[in-house]
This record gives sequence, structure tokens and C-alpha cells, in this order.
Amino acid sequence: MQLRRAWGLLPLALLLLAWELAVQAEIYPSILLPPPTKVLMVFVDDWDIVLGNAAASIGRGAVGITLSFLFAVPLGLMIGRYRLLDTMTDWSIQIFRSIPPIALIPLALLFLGIGDKPAIALIFLAGTWPLLINTIFGVRNIERTLIKVARAARASEFLVMKDIILPAALPAIFTGLRLAVGGGWLTVVTAEMIAVKSGLGYMILNAQLTFRSDLIIAGIIVIGGIGLLADQAVRRVRAHVCRWQEGLTASPE
Amino acid sequence: MSKFLECIGVGKIYPGKTEPVEALRGIDFSCGAGDFVCLLGRSGCGKSTLLQMVAGLERPTAGQIVVANRELDGPSTATSIVFQDHGLFPWMTVQKNVEFNMKARGTPAAERAAIARRFLDMTSLSGFADRYPHELSGGMRQRVGIARALTTDPKALLMDEPFGALDAQTRGKLQDELLQIWEQQRTTVLFVTHSIDEALLLADRILVFTPRPGRIAADIKVDLPRPRAPQSAAFTALARELRGLVGADREID
Repeated sequence: MQLRRAWGLLPLALLLLAWELAVQAEIYPSILLPPPTKVLMVFVDDWDIVLGNAAASIGRGAVGITLSFLFAVPLGLMIGRYRLLDTMTDWSIQIFRSIPPIALIPLALLFLGIGDKPAIALIFLAGTWPLLINTIFGVRNIERTLIKVARAARASEFLVMKDIILPAALPAIFTGLRLAVGGGWLTVVTAEMIAVKSGLGYMILNAQLTFRSDLIIAGIIVIGGIGLLADQAVRRVRAHVCRWQEGLTASPE
Repeated sequence: MSKFLECIGVGKIYPGKTEPVEALRGIDFSCGAGDFVCLLGRSGCGKSTLLQMVAGLERPTAGQIVVANRELDGPSTATSIVFQDHGLFPWMTVQKNVEFNMKARGTPAAERAAIARRFLDMTSLSGFADRYPHELSGGMRQRVGIARALTTDPKALLMDEPFGALDAQTRGKLQDELLQIWEQQRTTVLFVTHSIDEALLLADRILVFTPRPGRIAADIKVDLPRPRAPQSAAFTALARELRGLVGADREID
């Protein structure tokens, strides 16, 4: 298993090789396309810049996604459970989820100014829709017999929500969380290129102005790495919380 | 013996997509406390619908149902239902599943745990209290469903083809166990099945349903001593009579 995972490094190694060959062939001057070793040196010489901006980005992402989780999951449970709420909200959800958060940057800047507020607001929006839609889907797909069992036992609405609807929807909620974290992270970086004066997005845009391609590439590597780690973290938590699901769902061979 | 359950002119009409569908018409019968009654018929004859109505999960569109001297207007505390697909909560351990009906009634946790243990013992599941449903065989899952139904000390067990999804051997075993439980607890049992042999093995009395609309075609008393031998002349004679009444086709074994 562990050994097989190592195959995942193969495309990355090939990409690194292609990069090195491109540098050797001098396709671009080295100020535009620095060699891998020079980019590596960024993590030695400018580690404080990278770390500081990464921390700023992660902080914003975490706050935004947490807010969207707290908002979207309870709302999604209610919408999934009560038909009238579903009818009321269906069109609105379909409209708003079609608007890329990036398209709201101009309004966010007008209303909230430059700084953390517009960035977090956009991340919140980016995370809300996948979480909401997946939570609703999770509630909808609950086995009908389980609801009948609860009704026959005369369980209170609160108990039904807490002991049946929520756990039944958890796998879908985690799917929504993975999408939210992924989409939220994209939005963090994009929003930082326009709305804030710190973070990885700001860092790479700024590096362009000073012809620091090494810093740009280092920034891109860190953005991708954090995306990978965040996704792995959500998967781990999901595997733990939904361990009752083991053996119910097919896993790829 | 007093009447425990009484159906008076019960009918059920579903709205249907194009035109209303009449599932049941003019169901009149009553049964006393402690009776073992099978509702027998092919699929689509409304026998499950009747059971769901007695459980309070669906409302009749005509007539009334009286359970334990009260006209039904929702699930009664005097009955417990067991479903064919057992309705176990996959995220709860066996212990928690068995405790659920009591939890819905507000039974204190310690008492719940003790009662659950007693019924897990009775259904020979005590070694599996901490397992999740997906770790159990089909027969064991249905035992959990039966244990859960018994915990609230019901006057009647309502069973909706509980052994329909099991292999023949497991089915036979659970039939024996159910008869033992019934003799110990002296609960009324209302048991839906499409198997003539199963009805003859279990019931004191068999109500034969015919479809479109569902109606009771015959009310057969089974006076054979238990344990019953399917090879005996009396058994096969009754089976032949039932096959004629049901309008035997390939669905009926």
C-alpha cells in the first residue's frame, strides 16, 4: 500500500525533469525561468516571506470555510428535511451557486474595502454552495425505512435531526467539505491578488512586479502543496468520523 | 379473549399519477391479544399497506383502526414494527440500535442499556453489542431489528415480511426463534408474508388477501400443533387449499 502510493510521485518527478531540461536548453532566459535549484533556495533565503504569507492565506481560508460550514450545514439539514423550505430556496441556490465568487470581487471591494473582510466574505461564499448542496443531497438520500423506524418509535423531531438525519448526511457533508476546501482555497489565492496586501496570492503577484520568477514558482508550489495537505486532512477526518460506513461503499481496487 | 386490534371498513386509496389507485377495500377483522396472525397474499395485494396503517405510519382513507381500545391516529406505544430491510442505523452499534426505541421514549440511559442487554441475550447477540450493522450477517441484522422492537414491551409485534430477504436455512432458524419469543412474551403478532409455508408454520390464523383492490378473501384457522411438520398430511392439505385461494402463481412458493 505504502509502496504503491509512491507511484503518485512519478508525474511530479517527470515535471521536474522537463523543467530542468527546459532550463538546460535555455528556452527562456534564466531570469524568466529559473532552475529548480534556484527556486529551492527561495525556501532557504526567503523562508520568512513565504511562511508569513502562507500563514495569512491559511488563516483566511480556515476562517472563511469554518463560517460557511457553520452556516451551510444546519441550513442544509433544514432544507433537506422540510419540503416548503426546499421549494422556497431551490431557485435562489441555483442562481447564486452559478456566480463565481471572483465575479463578486468588485462588489466586495466596494462594500468592504481592501483587507481581510472582502477576502473572507468571498471564501465564505465559495465554500457555502458545495456544502449546502451536498448537505441537502445527503438528507434527501436517507433510507426511507430509517425515517419510518423513527416515526414508529415516536421519536422527537430533535432526536430525528441529531441521531438520524445528521449522521446519515455526514458522508455527503464531508464530500461537500472537500469541494468547499478546494474551491475556497482557489478563491483565497485569487482574492488575495486583488483585495488584500498579504498572502500567497499577493506574494506571487508582487513578485511579478520585481521579476522574481523564483518566488512566483515557489509560491505556486506552496499553494499546490497546501491544497494537497488540506484535502488529505479532510479525507482523514472523514474516514474516522464515517468509519461505520466501511464496507458499505465500494473502494477502487 | 378481548379484542386487541380491530379494523372496521378500512380502505386505502392512493392519489396515483394518472388516476387514483385503490390499494385496499372494506377490510374488516379483529384479533385478540396473544394471537399469531399472518397476512398472506401475493405482492401488490395491500397486505403491507394494511400493516403500515396498523403501525400508524399511514392513514386509512376509509374506516377506522382500533388498537388497544383506542382509535389510531399515529403510531401507538402498544405496537412495535419490524421491517423487511430491518431499518438498522448503520452509524450506531448494535447496542445503540437496540436502545433507540427506548431513547425515543425518554428511558434513562442506564435502564436502556440494561434492557437492551437482556434482549440481546434473548436473541443470542450479546457478543455483538459493539459491532456495527455492516459487520453482521442478514439473519443477525434481523435479530437486532426484533430485539429493538421488543425493548418497549409492546402488546403487538407488527412484522413486514421480516424474513423475506434471508436464505432458506437462516429463515427457518429465525422462524423457530420467533415462535419461542412469542411463546415467552405472549405478544400479539401480525406477520405479513407471501410464503404459504411460512404462514402455515407460524400462524394461528391466516388472512388471505387478493389484489386489485386488496381484500380479505378468506380467514383460515390453523389448528395444527407446534412444532409443525410441513410433510404432514394436514399441513399439505391446508397448503393446497391456500394455494387455491391465493391464486397461486410463480411468486408464491
